[in-house]
Amino acid sequence: MARMRPGFLAYPALAVLVFAAPALMGASGVAYSAAVLIAIFAVMAYGLDIIVSDLGEVSLAHTVFFAAGSYTTALLATRGGIGSGWVTLAASLAVAVACAGVIGLVTLRLREFVFSLVTYAVAVVAMTVAANWSFLGGSDGLRGIPTLDLSLPGIALHAKTDRELWPFAFALLLIVIYVVARFRRSALGAAAVMTHLNPRLATMSGIDPARVRLQVFLLSAPISAAAGWLYAYQRAYVSADVLENYFLILMLTAVVLIGRRQLLGPLIAVALVLMQEKFLSFGGEIDKIVLGAVLVAILAFLPEGLAGLARPLTRMRAQRPSAPSIPTTLENLK
Amino acid sequence: MMSTLLQQIINGIVLGHAYALVAIGWTLLLGVARLVNFGHGQMYMLGAFVTWWAVAKAGVPYGLALPIAMLVGALFGFVMQRVMLKATLEQNLVSIMIMTLGFGYVLNGGASMIFGSTGQILETALSGQDINLGELWLTWQDAAIVVAAIVVFITLKWILDGTSLGRLVRMVAEDPKLAMLAGVNVRWVYYGVFAFEGAAVAFAAGMVAPRTPILTSMGFDEVIMTFVVVVLGGIGSVTGSYVAGVALGLFTALFGALVSPAYTTAAAFLVLIAVLVLRPRGLGAGSAAGVH
Amino acid sequence: MSRPILEVRDLQVSYAGNRALDLASLAVGAGEVVGVVGANGAGKSTLVNGIAGWSRGAPRVTGEIRLGDVRVDARSTHRRVREGLVLVPEGRVAFGQMTVEDNLCAAFTAPSAPGRRVYSRDEIFELFPRLQERRHHLGHQLSGGERQMLGIGRALMMGPRVLLLDEPSIGLAPKMVTQVLQTLRTLAESGLAILLVEQNVRAAIEVVDRLLLLERGRKVLEGPASEVGDDPRIAEAYLGATAA
Repeated sequence: MARMRPGFLAYPALAVLVFAAPALMGASGVAYSAAVLIAIFAVMAYGLDIIVSDLGEVSLAHTVFFAAGSYTTALLATRGGIGSGWVTLAASLAVAVACAGVIGLVTLRLREFVFSLVTYAVAVVAMTVAANWSFLGGSDGLRGIPTLDLSLPGIALHAKTDRELWPFAFALLLIVIYVVARFRRSALGAAAVMTHLNPRLATMSGIDPARVRLQVFLLSAPISAAAGWLYAYQRAYVSADVLENYFLILMLTAVVLIGRRQLLGPLIAVALVLMQEKFLSFGGEIDKIVLGAVLVAILAFLPEGLAGLARPLTRMRAQRPSAPSIPTTLENLK
Repeated sequence: MMSTLLQQIINGIVLGHAYALVAIGWTLLLGVARLVNFGHGQMYMLGAFVTWWAVAKAGVPYGLALPIAMLVGALFGFVMQRVMLKATLEQNLVSIMIMTLGFGYVLNGGASMIFGSTGQILETALSGQDINLGELWLTWQDAAIVVAAIVVFITLKWILDGTSLGRLVRMVAEDPKLAMLAGVNVRWVYYGVFAFEGAAVAFAAGMVAPRTPILTSMGFDEVIMTFVVVVLGGIGSVTGSYVAGVALGLFTALFGALVSPAYTTAAAFLVLIAVLVLRPRGLGAGSAAGVH
Repeated sequence: MSRPILEVRDLQVSYAGNRALDLASLAVGAGEVVGVVGANGAGKSTLVNGIAGWSRGAPRVTGEIRLGDVRVDARSTHRRVREGLVLVPEGRVAFGQMTVEDNLCAAFTAPSAPGRRVYSRDEIFELFPRLQERRHHLGHQLSGGERQMLGIGRALMMGPRVLLLDEPSIGLAPKMVTQVLQTLRTLAESGLAILLVEQNVRAAIEVVDRLLLLERGRKVLEGPASEVGDDPRIAEAYLGATAA
């Protein structure tokens, strides 16, 4: 299944190019900020990507995992006095997995849309809690988060500016992309796709769809939380606005814009959206309308995403899985 | 103490009828077309703001503003269904859910742009007038909400059970493919149900919005409450939605008064989770659809 | 045979790129009962579904379909039904959550025209007294045979000019099978054109005028029942061996 030969050198070359990108774009603070944010939001989107593209379900709670990462980091770094980014990272991941565990267990044997509704409700409730609970800083949020410190004994690793943060953000991005790629090649990844496309066949092959759902969900939550962790350091301040709908819509657009199950899809999509906001913006509200409209338009008119435009129609039809009752199409079934 | 409790019960009954009224379009949409409309909250917000704008800015009488809001809502519902028709016929639930979220976001942005981001108060002739029952009180608007909800529910139930239109809708709800073979134009039924959702939620908004200030960022709580009502009442059950709505209203009012007003949505949500865990009837994988 | 009510030419149906049916021609006249037989997967259901423009899946259908003088292949399912091209599908034929009475309510008023007899509910009850006995029961409370009757009754209330039936005898007791098929024969005698898909060849032969054998999506045999009924190819299709 893994076609390594021709693309083997392409990925490392691409990685070098992406790493050098902010430097190539003028090496200014703005370029590095943009790059760091793109990396953070792309990582956030990758968490959702494996749920939507592979498992075929819509989780609306990934903003909560993102926020869990941010808040855990903020709390530990400010009130807890924890200086090490490693500790805050581990804590963020743990909190996310715990939340996902609870949500997952509750919705284990319920219909998919009930799962989506519950995740939506969790996000809304989280918004209320974050805005009202003084422990989480209430409507003011938590301020004064120190800069990222990933020092290990003997090696000092700090990031005080976005420029210094970029290598860490890039590293996180690489790691997450690698994790997603490995997931798609793993038994769990294959089980997820089978559960999505043909649940009956999956059950007959010995796969427990409910368990697979839970496992993929538990894997996806810490990915988004890791993004939240880094975001806390980048912004130095965390409040209930990390739970805003904007992040959810951004994530969803990132997952569908280029095409489902495209490895670099979320990264490219987030870059496109953020660049539109920076360079082609007509105001916050218009941006909202545009983003929402793009999301609807892609799903209504270009369900294969932008990548589908590049593919000749005849090849697309041949690749369609032969289960006509399943409406969603998947390309690139690696 | 007793009168406070009774007052809260009155509040709860009013609130409950409001919840039921807000939920009715959504419950029909889900029961008939199996569509989960995540834009429901923003459509509610739109209904509230169109009503407010008509009354406060365009000087239209309230009784005319409501049908205008309903028309706008119905139109929006129709447009949504038109865009999502392919996904609806294919039952592509993932696409539908995400698209409705997208629509909601567009509404959010559009409403902020047109109506601004400050809170507004929708005042009507009825909302300012109180009815006093001894120490207890409610506004005429509150009473109107209760009456309207009851009328809407009875009418809907009668249409569904007793008319040929209702029979058509039930056929499509149970088995759209088989309904096609019975000569039913299923597309138009889907359009109709989505337009109904738009009109119903706008009507509910126009009736209920006078109770609190409205913001273009609102709508999320409404979706949660609607979801809880539908889950508690049983998907596709008109009577169930009514009963669940009133029950939820009572619970919310009492919780808000006795425990905490800020966390009522969270509390309702926890009730929902408890129900889902303990008695997930009708929500487990593979449950039958239909509307009754 | 008078001018055929149903004419089909070059009907091709594919599911996800796989050709399931390739039929050059088929015609059914008024008052004729044509049977379609063949092994599982031969394309029988695909045939009647394709003619009706209907499926529980998502096939690609091309071809010419004429109902009387009118071409209907460009029309959607429900429009064809309203014109009198009615299908009683395989599997679910009635609404399980509605009462028998509600099931026997036409969703539209079929125009009474020459060649279209619109049955009233009372006539259906006369035809199928069992349904009258159970008029207030819900669809899913009926037995298999009663549900088939209900499906046929619903179809008749739409004033069909052509009635397509997909395996009406599945799951029915032999006596029930005879009864249902005999009813079809009687209906044909009043001018209804019937295309009957059947697994149960023996039972079908008793009531059909003409028989068609499908194999792997193609018509391999066609002719009057009396001539073709004993053709060894039919037994072969079902048993996979040359019959003695």
